[in-house]
Amino acid sequence: MIRVPARVPYAAGLEWQRRLARARIDGRLSSDLLLLLEHEPVVTVGRGVRPEEVRSRVGNVLEGIPRFEIERGGDVTYHGPGQLVGYPILDLHDYRQDLHWYVRALEGSLIEALEELGLHAFRVAGYTGVWVGDPLSGPIAAGGVRKIASIGVHVSRWVTWHGFALNVTGEALGPFGGIVPCGIAGVRMTSLETEGAVWAGGEVARAVSSGFARAFGARLEMSELAELEEAGLGLVGE
Amino acid sequence: MATKVVMAQLSPTMEEGKLVAWKLAEGDPVSQGDIVAEIETDKANMDVEAMGSGVLRKILVQEGATVPVGTLIGVIADPEEDIEAMLAEAAAAEPAVAEPTEEPAAASPTADLPPGVPTARDGRVKASPVARKMAAELGIELGTIPGSGPGGRIIKQDVEAAAAAGAPAAGAAVAGAAARTPGAVGIVRPPALGEGRLRDERIEASQMRKAIARRLAESIGPVPHFFLTTEIDMERALDLRAELNAGLDGFKIGVTDILLKTAAEALVRHPEVNASWEGDVIHHHGRVDLGIAVALEGGLITPVLRDADRKGLRQIAEETADLIERARARKLMPEEYQGATFSISNLGMFDIEEFTAIINPPEAAILAIGKTRQKPVVEDGEVRVRRRMRVTMSCDHRVVDGATGARFLATFKGMLENPLALVL
Repeated sequence: MIRVPARVPYAAGLEWQRRLARARIDGRLSSDLLLLLEHEPVVTVGRGVRPEEVRSRVGNVLEGIPRFEIERGGDVTYHGPGQLVGYPILDLHDYRQDLHWYVRALEGSLIEALEELGLHAFRVAGYTGVWVGDPLSGPIAAGGVRKIASIGVHVSRWVTWHGFALNVTGEALGPFGGIVPCGIAGVRMTSLETEGAVWAGGEVARAVSSGFARAFGARLEMSELAELEEAGLGLVGE
Repeated sequence: MATKVVMAQLSPTMEEGKLVAWKLAEGDPVSQGDIVAEIETDKANMDVEAMGSGVLRKILVQEGATVPVGTLIGVIADPEEDIEAMLAEAAAAEPAVAEPTEEPAAASPTADLPPGVPTARDGRVKASPVARKMAAELGIELGTIPGSGPGGRIIKQDVEAAAAAGAPAAGAAVAGAAARTPGAVGIVRPPALGEGRLRDERIEASQMRKAIARRLAESIGPVPHFFLTTEIDMERALDLRAELNAGLDGFKIGVTDILLKTAAEALVRHPEVNASWEGDVIHHHGRVDLGIAVALEGGLITPVLRDADRKGLRQIAEETADLIERARARKLMPEEYQGATFSISNLGMFDIEEFTAIINPPEAAILAIGKTRQKPVVEDGEVRVRRRMRVTMSCDHRVVDGATGARFLATFKGMLENPLALVL
């Protein structure tokens, strides 16, 4: 597990993930990684969105924020300060070669992490991601359930990249009013802070790591960026 | 040699996938291992790699289209190679015809996918005609047994082995299988045990079911429940209802409405029941907000009638009807089913005479209403037939003691037996 202390510009993070995934595929990287970081503000557009739809989804509110069209599944997502982003670089040959299982396991990681932070979260059938609120409240558009984490992954030769984004502070939500996140009309985004959770410094990343370890039955070791840099696989552009 | 590009199976539970993007155009050169396309299932994308080299000769499935797993989506071949046979085969497979006698190509570019139930392109389980007929006769569902033939195809020996091992019978699914298999209609043999209508199965709990489980387990665990039951003579309350309805020009007040009104009045007189345990304090609520348990398909929800003590019977009846209707349509806003101070659950319409309900925290009590029945009652030394209703109150013993609950229930009963106070 690697926690990147500084805010990472999206382009640099994307390029880094791609390099790491390639290295994992061809064996230069011998172990799986979980990257945990925060991005500079950015809007990403997944493969689920047709080019002609982008404008109606993104609107004018986010003009001036860089926009990336990327190879993960899913729709339109905002990343920025206050959001903990996780990029697992996993060789699924060692787990299960099953993308539905993988996405459900990522959801499970976050549900466990949130439980540890005192927030009950759950899945909503047919809507990938992690949700909080009252599952009895009927349609998503009613706002009784709110989305706290988004998921979108990409796999090549069963090696994963992209991953999840967990809204931690209210700052992570600011611009969501301007877009229809993940293409679900009326969906309300929320954050740990908005839901009234309290945590000590570093606790969220710790909870996410241990939730991840439990959901995947994996053992996580803290790793230093320097080790990757020595192998020529460091984050550049910082 | 021509190489197929097919819709890969990204998960054993995946039946179809979306072609997100082609990375190459028709005519582009390809080397084995090149990424030719990208496919998607459930917010997860995967690169499709070329399994051979040559030129991307043909794109059969356009970007944005969703097709079954195993569908031929493109062909890689040498520039001059004849690929007509391969294209013809794909075209023939499309409308899903007849018995698939020849196996389609392996469904996935990754050879080491976990074994799943083998299915042909049209979504049918792959099986030989003999195995299919035998399975239908034996009442064995093909999808439940492993196939040992080429490409995981189910053959006669597999069905025999499954029959010997007692494979699950086809049950409800047989209708479909039989309809597809001429001559098999009606030849359904139930398993040895009993009627064969039961299936051993595990059904994934819905979010609603999980929330119910969590909340009610939270209740019966930490909340020390006790139960008080009494029987109430409903003659006068029902007569009153009939009289009121006769004067209401079509609008009907229900028994539940009368019970809500009565409970609200009784709670005003016993504020210690309209309360919550909050750790170190007992919170006596300043409002009477009544939860009404409403059964839904697959669960229940408790819409809240606010300020029930300040509303007349007619207003209660109107608001309750609206709440129940919208609850059944699952159109309630969260604030409409949260924050009750006391609840009522009526199973009379299910012919339940008496039951105990589980408290909905943080409320301190809930009233379980049984069916009103005609019963012989001894009164002044004579046996009379009276309409009687049994109610059971579940109490949180941290807040409500036995005597407190009994006093509330006596008030509730007294009001229903002498209901004129309600209309005043």
